[in-house]
Amino acid sequence: MGKVVGETEVMVGSMTSSKSGVVIKNLEVAFGSLEVLRGVNLEISPNTITALMGPSGSGKSTILRVLNRLIEIYPDARVKGDVLLDGRSIFEMDVVELRKRVQMIFQIPNPIPNLSIFENVALGLKLNRLVNGRRELFQRVKQALEKAQLWDEVKDRLNAPAGKLSGGQQQRLCIARALAFNPEVLLADEPTANLDPENTAKIEALFLELKKEMTIVLVTHYPPQAARISDYVAFLYKGQIVETGPTKEVFTNPKHELTEKYVTGRLY
Amino acid sequence: MGVLAVLPLFLIIGDVMFKGVSAIVKQLGSPWEFLAWLPPDPLADRWGVGRLLVGTLYSLWEFLTRLPPDPFADRWGIGPLLVGTLYMTALGAVVGFIVGFPIGVYIGEMRKEAFANVARASVNVLVEFPTITIGLFVYAVFVFVIEDLNRTLLSPLSEWLTSALGDGVGQFIGPLGGYNAYAGALALSIIMIPYVALVTASAYASIPDSIREAAYSISGREFKAMFIVLRKAVSRAVLTAALLGTAKIAGETAPLLFTALGNIYYAPFTQATAAIPLWIWYAAQTPYDVQIESAYGAAAVLLVIVLTLFAVAKLAAQKR
Repeated sequence: MGKVVGETEVMVGSMTSSKSGVVIKNLEVAFGSLEVLRGVNLEISPNTITALMGPSGSGKSTILRVLNRLIEIYPDARVKGDVLLDGRSIFEMDVVELRKRVQMIFQIPNPIPNLSIFENVALGLKLNRLVNGRRELFQRVKQALEKAQLWDEVKDRLNAPAGKLSGGQQQRLCIARALAFNPEVLLADEPTANLDPENTAKIEALFLELKKEMTIVLVTHYPPQAARISDYVAFLYKGQIVETGPTKEVFTNPKHELTEKYVTGRLY
Repeated sequence: MGVLAVLPLFLIIGDVMFKGVSAIVKQLGSPWEFLAWLPPDPLADRWGVGRLLVGTLYSLWEFLTRLPPDPFADRWGIGPLLVGTLYMTALGAVVGFIVGFPIGVYIGEMRKEAFANVARASVNVLVEFPTITIGLFVYAVFVFVIEDLNRTLLSPLSEWLTSALGDGVGQFIGPLGGYNAYAGALALSIIMIPYVALVTASAYASIPDSIREAAYSISGREFKAMFIVLRKAVSRAVLTAALLGTAKIAGETAPLLFTALGNIYYAPFTQATAAIPLWIWYAAQTPYDVQIESAYGAAAVLLVIVLTLFAVAKLAAQKR
């Protein structure tokens, strides 16, 4: 929790760099009769950016939705297998605890409608009782917006409706909303798919900064992005992991024919 | 074809408003009547408009508070009718909303629950149910429980409240008569519940999955996601539904026949209570001109109430 010392914010506990690795064990997911993941095994190291890439429908986004159990809001989803966070099964954790530690940002910027910029970041903190008092709330919101590099653009209009922001700003607002929790793991589901190159570059730079504090799992269907910012990649095809390894290795020396086709842009 | 849709609306509004307003204006009489009571005004020229306004408002107030006419009355008003309708409608709307809203959230949002489909089907039927059967049902229930309710709960409660707060409480809480405003309000709330539930359910169902995912990932407990975060996305639709539902029950007659019964005097809400629609139903079929006129006057007031609610709902839906 933050303590205000003069004008400086001192963070205790939450700023200590996370050591939260994720291990996915034999994960199978089906929506009704449609099998989306067929036995995925993957280890994600702490403080890295791991990119999940693959063509549409390969199950990348589904993996993310299992990692914070958001998959459970879909009525026809069935999940088998296990996911360990810091060695503990996420399915045995309280889902509230889990979602505080594992936050997510989405393909389409999705600020909560009818809420102001400030409220969008503050709401999660308030609902989870993570702050005491207005002053700490303001500090945490400010800090999150600063981390998301949005503060300077919105500090004069915190009470304006979030819908008035541009697409890129909305996405950074959603990042701030996730960062407000000081998560250990940040899931990003094609966060730049709907953005222009300038905003994409900003967000990529931001991720490189953030990985010092947290583990990032990035879903992308654009191989150059994985090549630019990830440390490890996993290539998915039809619900299975075809190849995984350090980014440089997979891109320069793919072992599997499908991977080679994909990274060279011949497989969509 | 479009004209056919518009025509009945305007014919009804035109007919009721024309006859009703002229009946009311006749009752208001001339504002000078009231002014005659005041001492002569040395500045009559200067304050003429103000005095006219005060006079009009006073006679309007008289109209809104006087009793409805017996066959040979010549001055009448809609006092008890208005009070009964406002009280029962407000109570019915509040209860209907408090119960209907969570039902709607359950149906619209808890899609994992198999029972949600059954609930949706039931609500769909209930919303189109003949309202007179709802009145009949509440009547039957009250006949069944009223004695026990009075003996075990309401009599002691009202005695205690009367000693603590004074006699006025008896108007609202006390041993219930066979017909009373609470039975009426209950019947109205049962009409309101499925209406609010259906609109709420469809509003929730129309929230895009991307917003739903955001709500669940930041909210902690599930009910916070549903009732706090997602509510913000649908608040306007739900507010509109509440207002339209209120307008709908304000004009209901059938469910009040067995429950509130109707009255022509001011009575405690624990006894038979007057309502505008009940008076219209009764007075318009008497052979006496003054009562028929009063039915139209009351109908005009009812239309004003309902159309005002429509207008507010429309504004609420459009805002921002």
